[in-house]
Amino acid sequence: MTASRRDALKVLLGSAALLPIHPWGTFADIEPSFVFANSAQYDSLDPHTVFDTSRAAVRFNLYDGLYRYVDNPPQLIPWLAESYSLSEDRKAYTFKLRTDAKFHDGTPVTSSDVVYSIERIIALKKGPAAQYLDVIAPGSTQAPDPHTVVFNLSHVSAIFLATVPDIVVVNSAVLKQYDNGGDWGQAWLARNEAGSGSYALDRYDPAVGWTARRFSSHFAGWHQTPIERLQFRSTLEANTRVLGLMRGDFQGSEGTLPYDQIQRLRQSGEMQIIDQESMRIFLLMLNCSKPPMTDVHFRRALAYAFDYDGFIKNVMKNSVSRNPGPLPITMWGTPPDLKGYSFDLAKARAELAQVTTPIRKLSINAIAGAAESEQAAILFQSALHQLGIESAVEASPWSVLVNRLADPQKRADVIPVWKSTFYVDPNNWVGEGFGTRYHGQRSLSFYSNPKFDALLEQALEATSQAERLPLYEQMSQIVSDDAAGIFVYNSRWYGPYSKHVSGIRFSPVSGGQDMRWASMTG
Amino acid sequence: MRIRVKGFMTSWLSLTVTRLLWLPPTLLVLLVFVFVISRVVPIDPAVLAAGENATAAQVEEVRQRLGLDEPLLLQFAKYLRDVLHGDLGNSVYTQQPVIQDLILRLPATLELAIVAALLASLFSIPLGVVAGLHRNSWLDHAVRLFAAVSLALASFWIAIQLQFLFSMKLGWLPLSGRTDEFAPDTVTGFVLLDAAIAGDGAGIVSALRHIILPAGSVSLLTSATLLRFARNSAISAASSASVAYQEAMGMPRRVIVWKYVLRMALAATVTQLGLSMGVMLTGSLVVEAIFDWPGLGGYAVQSILYSDYNALMGVTLCVGALFAVFNLLVDLLQAAIDPRGES
Repeated sequence: MTASRRDALKVLLGSAALLPIHPWGTFADIEPSFVFANSAQYDSLDPHTVFDTSRAAVRFNLYDGLYRYVDNPPQLIPWLAESYSLSEDRKAYTFKLRTDAKFHDGTPVTSSDVVYSIERIIALKKGPAAQYLDVIAPGSTQAPDPHTVVFNLSHVSAIFLATVPDIVVVNSAVLKQYDNGGDWGQAWLARNEAGSGSYALDRYDPAVGWTARRFSSHFAGWHQTPIERLQFRSTLEANTRVLGLMRGDFQGSEGTLPYDQIQRLRQSGEMQIIDQESMRIFLLMLNCSKPPMTDVHFRRALAYAFDYDGFIKNVMKNSVSRNPGPLPITMWGTPPDLKGYSFDLAKARAELAQVTTPIRKLSINAIAGAAESEQAAILFQSALHQLGIESAVEASPWSVLVNRLADPQKRADVIPVWKSTFYVDPNNWVGEGFGTRYHGQRSLSFYSNPKFDALLEQALEATSQAERLPLYEQMSQIVSDDAAGIFVYNSRWYGPYSKHVSGIRFSPVSGGQDMRWASMTG
Repeated sequence: MRIRVKGFMTSWLSLTVTRLLWLPPTLLVLLVFVFVISRVVPIDPAVLAAGENATAAQVEEVRQRLGLDEPLLLQFAKYLRDVLHGDLGNSVYTQQPVIQDLILRLPATLELAIVAALLASLFSIPLGVVAGLHRNSWLDHAVRLFAAVSLALASFWIAIQLQFLFSMKLGWLPLSGRTDEFAPDTVTGFVLLDAAIAGDGAGIVSALRHIILPAGSVSLLTSATLLRFARNSAISAASSASVAYQEAMGMPRRVIVWKYVLRMALAATVTQLGLSMGVMLTGSLVVEAIFDWPGLGGYAVQSILYSDYNALMGVTLCVGALFAVFNLLVDLLQAAIDPRGES
């Protein structure tokens, strides 16, 4: 009996060894590719609904916009459009499109695709839609000929051009084919791609990520040694990303890893760390709508109570630069002599002495899981305690925190948080953060000041950057003088890439994920 | 003999039917529980679904579109109606039908749990029995020490240590992922099975190399529990009157061990394995994140963080049903090993 069992086992193992080894899909013929480990999951590939920096790779590699941001500080370069002109009343933007741009299915990119794309963004009201909803009415965009598109704004907007790169163009014929009950092809585009970008989608698995092949007939042409195949994988754990980079499993990852992990990668000797000043400020948002936060002296006292240098030196290990105002130091609009605040409890006490409203216990709401936000909250709480101000720190997941942002009554008094680049214009930070017209979820303060608001309205209608510059400088100065927020640092971007990768062009908008310029050897 | 087999089949059938009849009410209670819990959390899914940059009007529109402005009871009644029609709704986050999301991710989680269960059983049951038969030997002490230490360790910590040792230091096994590349188009979604169907040796090797570390991490806790059960069962079996009788009758020790001791040890251990499947399914959710295992883990975490109600209920329903099915299978298996339990 035992012998027969052994015989059976032998036969089984023998058969396993003799299994025919032949190609099963991709295992046998894996092509080398550039693998990027990303912290976010690629649940959807729709560029009109997903709009965050961590998943910028989809927008930048699979799709094109009329204009494109490159380099740092970001430059706006013509892309699908060759040029634009502005009407007398400054409400009509006319873009002339290139004639040689093609979608991945070979059909030409025309103005009707651009019109369809902006209509789709506005109709879906997701992702980048918030930038256009108040300036572009449905049905107002026109395509007088196949290579001309006219955006008719409902009012003058000095920031419109800065937001144009986010109108990524989709193949309207394909999407109309997959429209399911007027969903603008949402269900289909979440899983597929209909772009003209530098790379064409090859494989997609929402639980893993996606791969793409180089689109050799892209209108922008190619340099000598482009990367043929890209792979973007979602890797949730930072530790796994770092180990994978060290092992050579991944050739790139986001530049927002904790600094100790960056040091670890540096020491491994396997990686190059591309170090750039970014446009992502870290601030303590103050809810200026509730007493005693309505009192400017109280807010100034708070601004003097944060240990800026100690935080940057000890928590951030000097990996970031001090940012004294509401604008990133790489953005225009900050007065050259803006000093900001320093850690000075004596000055804080002097300001507190002038506060007339009763002082109550403050609420500090940090982002759970974001160590720097939690550490800033605790550091600030300890300084407040020295001033005799009691406070309670609560760490909530971003999903919980974001729910409280829109309502000034629910929003905590102090929130240590980052403000990223949605569009490259000072309005992205100072205008939206402190203007009364933007009160709501996007406001950094619920701050209200008629003088500031008048300057903001002027800046939104101004004709040129030269005209807008002094206006934003004045606004930044007001925000600083009134301590409408506590501005700590501007993030640096530490992009970890394999030593075999070259040509990475970082911009704070693409987060170093725009791969058409890069090469890889070995 | 024929009567015994017939009785046995009848008892299997009645067990299966009874358990299946209990499944819908059990799942309903589970759904009510999750529905209530998910609504208590202070998160407004409409805000999250509308996006970070959304205006108040956008949020309100999303709320109405998702039916979140309706009374809770009505929301639950509508959900139940849809579930009965096989529709688990759409995920707010992925914008896909939840059923499709589950079908996409479930095989990876199941494959991991099954391989972990196999690893735990193959490792623990024989070792536990041998330790029990050689009570107080050095092997027995080692087994007990291993079980005690393993029970005290968190599976995610073990996972990270295994990565360090086998992927980073020794370089023997891959660090993360389910395959070297994107898995080829699948038939069943179980990569090992698909590779075997395709007769692809390289695919099998690749899949095995990737699954060893995550399955090892997930199985550790179960291994420790099974070891203790197998050891204790072996001890009580070896000291039972029937074994003493067999020994007195001069039956060879090898036969006694294989025929009696092992069978008795298996009966108790298999029950424990069934209970552990639930632990392994949920335990794998944490380990999945560390190894980038494309299973339900990431989906479940995302659905909780984003209060993606439909996804959350879908995952709960799915894991709850699986747990019930595993336990049914275990009971059937146990009835086969030791029919007395069901007679």
